[in-house]
Amino acid sequence: MSSPPSALAPPQAPAPAPAAVAVSGLRKSFRVAGQTVAAVSGIDLTIAAGEIFGLLGPNGAGKTTTLRILTTLLPADAGTAQVAGADVLAEPAVVRRRIGYVSQLGGADKSATGRENLLLAGRLYGLSAADAARRCRELAEVFDLGELVNRSVRTYSGGQRRRLEVALGIMHQPRVLFLDEPTTGLDPQNRANLWDQLRRLRAAGTTICLTTHYLDEADQLCDRVAIVDHGRVIALGPPDQLKGRYSAGTITITPDVARTGLPALARELADAASAEASVTDNGAIRLTVTDATPATPAMAAVFGVLAGRRVSVLAASIGRPSLDDVFLRETGRSLRDAGAPGAGHTAGAAAQEVAA
Amino acid sequence: MTFAVQTGLFFRRKLLETLRQPVWIITGLTTPALYLALFTPLLRSLAGGPGFPPGQVLDVFVPGVLVLVAFGAGMGAGWPVIWELDSGVLERLRVTPASRLALLLGTVLRDVVMFAVPGLVVTAIAAGFGFRLHWAGLPLLFLLLALLTAACSAASSALGLILKQIGGLAAVVTGVQLPLTLLAGILLPLSLGPAWLRVLGHLNPMYYAVQAARSLAAGSVATGAVGLGFLVMGALAALALWWGTRAYQRAMA
Repeated sequence: MSSPPSALAPPQAPAPAPAAVAVSGLRKSFRVAGQTVAAVSGIDLTIAAGEIFGLLGPNGAGKTTTLRILTTLLPADAGTAQVAGADVLAEPAVVRRRIGYVSQLGGADKSATGRENLLLAGRLYGLSAADAARRCRELAEVFDLGELVNRSVRTYSGGQRRRLEVALGIMHQPRVLFLDEPTTGLDPQNRANLWDQLRRLRAAGTTICLTTHYLDEADQLCDRVAIVDHGRVIALGPPDQLKGRYSAGTITITPDVARTGLPALARELADAASAEASVTDNGAIRLTVTDATPATPAMAAVFGVLAGRRVSVLAASIGRPSLDDVFLRETGRSLRDAGAPGAGHTAGAAAQEVAA
Repeated sequence: MTFAVQTGLFFRRKLLETLRQPVWIITGLTTPALYLALFTPLLRSLAGGPGFPPGQVLDVFVPGVLVLVAFGAGMGAGWPVIWELDSGVLERLRVTPASRLALLLGTVLRDVVMFAVPGLVVTAIAAGFGFRLHWAGLPLLFLLLALLTAACSAASSALGLILKQIGGLAAVVTGVQLPLTLLAGILLPLSLGPAWLRVLGHLNPMYYAVQAARSLAAGSVATGAVGLGFLVMGALAALALWWGTRAYQRAMA
């Protein structure tokens, strides 16, 4: 589908992979209690074929709405979206045949058996009864469902049901698979299993687009991440690149000094470590270091200053850069807190910025 | 062809779901039987009196009970739809290429079966107690009432998808149930009532189903009441199917 590389293109430029998803200027608002609330306010992004792409953001950031637009469930107010080579608004039927979707709720029919669920899904995508049965056996093995497929879904554990629901989403071998918060509510082992399944799907050529509010999921599973807040993409790129953008890590120090003395000390430590400092609510100083002075030499400089001032240290730690640093930098809130209801703006106040 | 296959798949799914809940099958059969057993003795004293249609009590009453069974079989459709909306089942099915009308028809056809089976049982029991079977009218009677069930089922699904809450749906369904059934002359003939009640009755689509059902049960196939009954029920079913399909296209939890 992509045109061959032009003769004018720089020799090193790789041929552009055909985009599995191309979104431009996407907007959607809802009427809630007489007021218009914008859920998606201008999202642009492109997902290349064969990558695992993550939409990372707090609850209410517009991730689910975006996914519902891309899966033809909701019409957008404005903007365009091409998915698997077709326009979601103009050719929803084509898009539906080419995509799979695993919603946050899952949507396995509890009153039916796993097999009945899988067979119905397969037949609805046009598989013959024999093909659907073959694919059902195949997926039951891949997702380790075994004899479970013959039992009512009501009897499944959370992890078993999640595996069935992902299997339901790929019965017809879709080109693009969308998953909404796929590991929410799963224990660590089931989570790791699901990550493995998704990596295997990618290896087999499926493009995967998922939403998550887990930092580690975006970091470890996704090839590229769009950090979303208030219906906008605030940062986009491979996790390592995003993490390195603002920080090479953090140092958290809890010095044994009065609260009133913390800001002055923070400024001094920031100068010594060539870092940016903030004072946290629980009386610690948080230093965000840069590549110029990474965390370990910066820590030595910090201890030098503290020893010179005869300040004893109650606790000290080095944190590796995380996607939360990016979110914190862009929004003034921590992603860890932003998900909690009402935490949105109070969390911002917790990290009082102190001039470096 | 694919539309027929999809409808068949959804019908099978809903039928299996019902067969796995025997409670509904049992009440589906016992409720109409109880109506017959408890209401017929009351009506016996009215039979032959002023305002009562000619014919044996059961000949007048059984078509009414069948209309009630048809109405009840359809109006329950909205509850499981709300559950399917809440559990994400609907969202998953809406992402498939399946026709929305086929999705709706799966439930509608299941409800038609859930009317026809108890309806036939009630007819058989009533026949044992003196209800006269007219073979020309009976198949048409069931066809007419299948249209009523289809209309009720599609409308109930649409209401469930729009209201999205069990409480709201229950309020609407129980709210319309009494006026609709009373003003259709199902249990007591409207001819017993004053003129204004009869006028109100003519505004109720179900009234025409009951009139046509009584005519068909008596074996009179080629009457104006039968024609009008099919016309009203056919239009109502078409309208409700259109509304239900639209609701399925837009449904969002």
